[in-house]
Amino acid sequence: MRKYETVVISDPDLQDQTRTELFDKIRNIIARENGIFLDLDDWGSKKLAYEIRKKLRGHYACLTYGGTGDLVRELERNLRLYDNVMKFMTILLSDDVTAESLAQELQDAEAARAAAETAETDQTAADTEAETDAAVSDPGTPAGETGSEEPAPETEPETAETVNDPQN
Amino acid sequence: MYKGQRGDSKNRFYQRRKICRFCVDNGMDIDYKNPKALKQFITERGKIIPRRITGTCAKHQRKLSLAIKQSRQIALLPFVGRPPQ
Repeated sequence: MRKYETVVISDPDLQDQTRTELFDKIRNIIARENGIFLDLDDWGSKKLAYEIRKKLRGHYACLTYGGTGDLVRELERNLRLYDNVMKFMTILLSDDVTAESLAQELQDAEAARAAAETAETDQTAADTEAETDAAVSDPGTPAGETGSEEPAPETEPETAETVNDPQN
Repeated sequence: MYKGQRGDSKNRFYQRRKICRFCVDNGMDIDYKNPKALKQFITERGKIIPRRITGTCAKHQRKLSLAIKQSRQIALLPFVGRPPQ
């Protein structure tokens, strides 16, 4: 069995419910093809580097799962059929995993998440004790769109000169 | 002749020693999901900067170029960037 990761860019104007249904469908396909669903990482709506279907934004989600090549083929065939999916990309993460190792990984991830959650609640509790209002607004800020909207960092002057010369 | 200058070299530029940033810093990961880090290795046009300029080692340049290409594929990085003014 192999471990894969699929990044799906879905329509940003989708209703939350439709989007959940979409992800449920994907999960069903993975289950149907005897795959093991590991994680769904929702990055939220991000600015695209180029237009896809005349749209400048897209809703990113990253799925991690274990399965065979047939599963990937079936999943990608279905993703191509869904109108809501603008683009997707599947990447092989690990060539040699077993169902047991994946189950173990899933357990570990859950344990880590639970640990992080308790730590966070402890933290918030401590914060609220210390400074009543400030802590509440802090975790709520969206962390989705850090990278894409910033202007490109200046390359070193030497670098830029050498590379751009032939184009001028 | 200046002190420290090599005898046989005219017009020799001072060359900074290039080091691979990924070899120096073990925590620095090459990941296609992190376009912010990859942006340092592409031009404003969106081209991958050759390793003779950035100093990246061969091993990491291979991984870097793959990551940049994957990142372009899912629209985190542009295939063609805006031309510099």
